[in-house]
Amino acid sequence: MISLVPVSAQITGAVDSYGTDDSRRTVRERVTPIPGDALPSHYSLLVSGPPGVGKFEFLLDLARTWIGAGERVVFVTLDLSPAEVRDRGLALGLQISEAERNQFVFVDGYSANGPAPTESRGDRRAYTVSSYANLEGIAMTLQKAAAEVGPPARILFYTLSTLFLHNSPPAIAKFLQIITSRVKTSLGFIAYAVHEGVHEPTTMSLLRSLTDGVVELRFTPDMERELRVHHLRGRWVDPGWRPFQWEATAPLIGGA
Amino acid sequence: MLTTEPPKPTRLNTGIRILDERLGGGFERPCALLLFSRTPAEKRLFAEQFVMTGLRAGEPCLYVDFFRAPQLILRELGKFGTVEESRLRLVDATSAQLLIESDQRHVIRDLTDLDGITRTIRTAIEETRPARVVIDSMEFLADRFDRDALFRAWREIGEAARAVGAAVAFLFINWTYGDADVARVVEMSDYVVEFQTRVRTGVVRNYLRIAAQRPGGLSTAWIPYTFKDVSGLTVYFPRILVIGPPNAGKTTVVRALCGNSVSVDTMGTTVAFDYGNLDLSGLEAEVIGTPGQERFEFMFGIFAREVSGILLVLDATRPEELERAKSLLQLVGAESSVVVLANKSDLPGRLDEAAIRAGLGLAADVPVIPSVATTGQGTKEAVLALAQRVMGV
Repeated sequence: MISLVPVSAQITGAVDSYGTDDSRRTVRERVTPIPGDALPSHYSLLVSGPPGVGKFEFLLDLARTWIGAGERVVFVTLDLSPAEVRDRGLALGLQISEAERNQFVFVDGYSANGPAPTESRGDRRAYTVSSYANLEGIAMTLQKAAAEVGPPARILFYTLSTLFLHNSPPAIAKFLQIITSRVKTSLGFIAYAVHEGVHEPTTMSLLRSLTDGVVELRFTPDMERELRVHHLRGRWVDPGWRPFQWEATAPLIGGA
Repeated sequence: MLTTEPPKPTRLNTGIRILDERLGGGFERPCALLLFSRTPAEKRLFAEQFVMTGLRAGEPCLYVDFFRAPQLILRELGKFGTVEESRLRLVDATSAQLLIESDQRHVIRDLTDLDGITRTIRTAIEETRPARVVIDSMEFLADRFDRDALFRAWREIGEAARAVGAAVAFLFINWTYGDADVARVVEMSDYVVEFQTRVRTGVVRNYLRIAAQRPGGLSTAWIPYTFKDVSGLTVYFPRILVIGPPNAGKTTVVRALCGNSVSVDTMGTTVAFDYGNLDLSGLEAEVIGTPGQERFEFMFGIFAREVSGILLVLDATRPEELERAKSLLQLVGAESSVVVLANKSDLPGRLDEAAIRAGLGLAADVPVIPSVATTGQGTKEAVLALAQRVMGV
């Protein structure tokens, strides 16, 4: 079994309020961790926001909820090495390496692209992808990883934006469409993180149209962070912006 | 160095034995292969096996890779066994993307220059004079260049390979083109090997089918396959069901086919099922023997999912059981591939084939194979006949 550091790094938000109409409660009252369990098991989600706003933390908080509930998580990382994800997870109070025993698996699209050797699998299960440009390889590997941990799985994809540096938007859109439908039919849930402000508006609309739900994150003029659930297909959501924050138990950069 | 060339085989095998037999030894040489899929599927494993099979046979091979640096290619080929590096040439299109030095002779440095890319690949083909070439992959280029320019390059690479008598395999997943363009791509190919992945209840199953493009060329059904380290790709039937009336010899057939079979039985008759793994000439299968008694018919519904093919075993000396065998066939459904084993055919008083056909109401193309399960005679032939029906060649 996994053990989790006590809930200290919970992200607070407002995705808990499906079906409730009492919007006058204070933010603190209505705040619960992002309810990963409220997200359907065969579903797709786009998480958008400017770089640095906390998409990664949002995804890790979902992972924490699911791991705690005994669900299986596949983390596709294109932007960070698995080691960095583990470190940053630890700083947020999530012990990924514990969960890697039976509930969590990386699809590593990062390591093969750098000069650093791909981490050896050892007792940890890690699937590597040879290149960002190898969309097909990413899709195949993701599928194998999800089949290995056992569907329904929760797949987190960080980030879609990186693919745009290496592939054309139409190819990515088709990739996204195929993967999403495949995941939803037989593998489970997928959330894609995408950077806001670096893609054409039409590209962003296309990506939003290809997923069931959209969660947006933003900075206020005072550099506070806010989150809203723009829509979740088939669900009622309160689309208002809500303050959103997380607490770290250790510095996010440079280790504890 | 490649100074003297051994006599060239006229066929290039895939390394999947049962498939090579059906292909008459492999792909005709020279040729252009299109390893194609519409959704993500394991094309690369097939390409890698194709190259490794060539290397083992002493053929020079060329691998053009836009995704993997040379070290990574070699490491990944290692899952098939020892790589004969002296006969393998690489075109390195990755090191430049990673801003690292390449130690390869053939290097693509500028990925914005399609003419330069084509020239480098052509030069590598002309210098290496390989038997087998893999281009991994065309969608990498399709994603970056104008369609017509890409088709010209595609043709040029194909012709360069043909000129040295090579088989060239183009990997291509179509993210990008419409049907008319795909038709053009197919037109440039001698064989299309199409791949498909289906996920059912969390199990990933791989299928391929081969179609020769010349008129009257062979064309297979969707063939299920699997991959294991070292042994590589094999045709894989997840479930061959052995059915038949009680005491026809179903358990003995399973035992004859599988080295490791286990049975759940009582007093010598099967009450649950027999199970064994079969490994025959590049074909792997899981064989499940069902009980013949009527009271166990409910199990058919459980086993009937994902059936690759059916072996119907009957006791050829007992005409009174044809009726029961016929109803079993109806029970498993007409859409399954069936082969009939006329078992105990060494005993006197056996029915001839015509009587069995008439008694079962068989279609003319369903094979009826005489067998003696106690000695194994006829059982392998029956599985190969079944494989032929499932594979369509």
